[in-house]
Amino acid sequence: MTAVAAKPAAGSAMNPTAMVVGVILLIILLAIAYVVSPGLGLMALIGVIIGGVLIGFGVHFVPVGGAPAAMGQAPGIATGVAMLAAGAGLAGLFGGAWAASQGLVIAVITGAVGGGMMMAITCMMVNFVYVFGMGIPAASGKVAKDPITGDTQPEYKSQGTEGHGLPFVSFVGGVVGGVLGGAGGTLIYIELLNLYKATLPTILSASATQVLPIAISTAGIFAIGMFLVNAVLTAYNITGTIEGPHDPKFKRWPRAIVASAVASALCGLVAILIVTI
Amino acid sequence: MTVKVEVIEGGIPHTKIMVAGLVCTIVCLYLSYLNVATSTEMFSFFGGLAVISALIWGSHTIKVLCSYGIGTGVPSAGMIAFGSGVIAMLLATKFGIAAPIVALVLAAVIGFILGYLSNNVLNMKIPVMIQALTELAVVGALTLMGFAVLITGSFTFAGLTSGSVTVFGSLAMPSYQASFIGGALIAVAFLLGAIAIQHPFNACLGPGWKQDRMLMLTAECGFLSMIVAAIMSFALISAGSALISLIIALIGWLYTYCQYIGLSKRDAAAWLDTKPIPEMEGH
Amino acid sequence: MEQIVFGIGITALAGALATVAGSAEDTESNIGSQGDPNSQVQLAPQMGFVHRIFNKAVAGEPPAYGLWCALGAGLAWAFLSMQVNAVLAIVLGSLLAVFVQGVYATTAYLGRTASLSKFGQPVYVDILKSMTTVAMAHAFVAVFSTVTICYLINVALGHPFPLPLLGFIWGITLGAAGSATGNPYYGKERQYQNQKFGAGVPISASGNIVRYAEAGERNSLDNGFFTAKFGGPAAGLCFGLIVFLELWRTVVFEQIGAGWGAIIVGILIILIFTIVDRYIEVWARKNYGPYLAPVKEAAP
Repeated sequence: MTAVAAKPAAGSAMNPTAMVVGVILLIILLAIAYVVSPGLGLMALIGVIIGGVLIGFGVHFVPVGGAPAAMGQAPGIATGVAMLAAGAGLAGLFGGAWAASQGLVIAVITGAVGGGMMMAITCMMVNFVYVFGMGIPAASGKVAKDPITGDTQPEYKSQGTEGHGLPFVSFVGGVVGGVLGGAGGTLIYIELLNLYKATLPTILSASATQVLPIAISTAGIFAIGMFLVNAVLTAYNITGTIEGPHDPKFKRWPRAIVASAVASALCGLVAILIVTI
Repeated sequence: MTVKVEVIEGGIPHTKIMVAGLVCTIVCLYLSYLNVATSTEMFSFFGGLAVISALIWGSHTIKVLCSYGIGTGVPSAGMIAFGSGVIAMLLATKFGIAAPIVALVLAAVIGFILGYLSNNVLNMKIPVMIQALTELAVVGALTLMGFAVLITGSFTFAGLTSGSVTVFGSLAMPSYQASFIGGALIAVAFLLGAIAIQHPFNACLGPGWKQDRMLMLTAECGFLSMIVAAIMSFALISAGSALISLIIALIGWLYTYCQYIGLSKRDAAAWLDTKPIPEMEGH
Repeated sequence: MEQIVFGIGITALAGALATVAGSAEDTESNIGSQGDPNSQVQLAPQMGFVHRIFNKAVAGEPPAYGLWCALGAGLAWAFLSMQVNAVLAIVLGSLLAVFVQGVYATTAYLGRTASLSKFGQPVYVDILKSMTTVAMAHAFVAVFSTVTICYLINVALGHPFPLPLLGFIWGITLGAAGSATGNPYYGKERQYQNQKFGAGVPISASGNIVRYAEAGERNSLDNGFFTAKFGGPAAGLCFGLIVFLELWRTVVFEQIGAGWGAIIVGILIILIFTIVDRYIEVWARKNYGPYLAPVKEAAP
């Protein structure tokens, strides 16, 4: 979009004061959780923060080309970054929630594998369509050689475009993004689910099996809400499109880690306060 | 390359819309509390009206925010609004009659911090970012609260988590599964609101953007969401109350939809039926 | 053992429904012209290329399909709570969700076209009337299949999430998978059919979409029938594989190795798809060849 006002470009620069303020906010939120509910609540909050950071970091790996990719003008997947990441993360969350009864570690890894599988299949089909449906090989516009396979890129770029399809490094980036997103979303879900399962029976004065639907749905909707907030913040960080981990924009990830950590801490604290006040 | 956005002067200023929307939403939410005073569920439709006022306010905020070219699409703004709003709303429901005010304050805090993070940590440096994200979070929280009232008749945590299940066609047993939160209808309300808040600006985007057309479209989206939410409420509140909500929603939707078509006819370059592409010089 | 066989049967059914859903989703989004390729439909009048294509600017496909499927599932859940028969509940839920989708489509077309009045793009009422109903029909197939998958997963396979939440999740995944696979095919292959085959669209040609087609002036139904030959089935295959493999590895291998069985199978599946993707990429480089001769190293 052409900007209306003369807006200075959101460059890759980092704002040290803001980062420090962010870290201070994070510590304050952790302290509030410690005061309100040391033990169960604090553990849940730490889990939520880690989950949120995984999501925020993971979304940087997903190759998204936006509108130009839909015309074969830019490499990447032709969908919005927040929603593509949400699709992968939610597919992971689906699998992770199913495995919740088998413990935290298994559930999180299952969620990670679920998200990675969704991205692997999608990225493979994207290349399938480009190669067999449109006759266009994959080429990156940002590097001369693929960092993983060493394939040269510039001569496979059609004239007048920035590249197209998914070079191997973008494919791997997509899978890694799906893995991290699925893991992060499932971690948030499991932490909140365990907290709610432990505390809701006393609050609603009902048995554990009776409140299970409430615990599951509340944890689920919180996980989805936090997933979307983190994904949109990352989308703001990369200003909409990124080719994958080899893209220079990828170097902006430290800002996103701080932003995701603070946003997840804030939302996680609210989620915990529901059952502790 | 996407559509060029140019700011159009004129129309009602944003602050007026914000204040009017905020006051109207809170008033409608509290009017629905008459349900508790009269021990019925007849006033649940006020929740739907609260949704519509909040959406009108929110869609104008999105217009203000996205005119600055944030680099991502318009739908992400709706997602972050409701992502932060749902979290604030769920905690606020624990505060009984003070729930709407608590939702307002809490969502404002969350939105403010998210705005600060976006503008300063992520270096977006958009002048209206912090205010816009604060407003959007509040809109998200209040819209979800409105949906909750429309579908269940109350905005307290107890009301949202309990329902009843009919066994053998006549025995009604209390059940947590048949409730707004237990049955995850909150997820449906989440998306209904998220799409409805960003659709008006997204759909009216372009050099010919007109404020009255966009706001009429917001009202239409709101009433449309109210129709389906009212149908879903048949499962959780008495049939008579749900029917009231449904009839109000249908009438409101028909009116706003016809008005919107009229306004589009007014603004369109031409209103053709089965005509070929007009000849343009050079193409 | 019986449990696993029953589970596999449901998985196969869900996989088949998912393939249908993916195909219908992609065809619907191409008939309505939704998502990233739609930016060209919006750009064309500004470059002077007035057209008769439906301009459905309703967010992107993932959030939009998230809403239709969540709405269909939520309404089905409400009807099920009112003791309505399951099949009827899902049908009614999908019908109402598709009604909402149709209304959103019409308001999007009217809004965007009216805002492009400065460039002389007229509102074609006949396009509105013809395309909307076709798009709604395809959306019904997609939403109904997805809600049925969610119902099967919840009731027959015993997933803890309630029906609306499953609708939300699979709706967004359907939109993401269908959009990723189908968008380039619609955007480059059909919208820019007049450009050279086998290369991306050069930036100088932006906005110059095909407006005069095989017989008369092109409209979105022409786009739909073309993409239904490749893009639709590809999207269906993508979503079908996602649903089937996710359910299959859980149902069959969950009990082996206390959960680790399913994880290992999942990792194996990722590796297999990586190898297949690498093969496709190398095949293209070898068989299509470069556009230009490789850049020679500068002489030292």
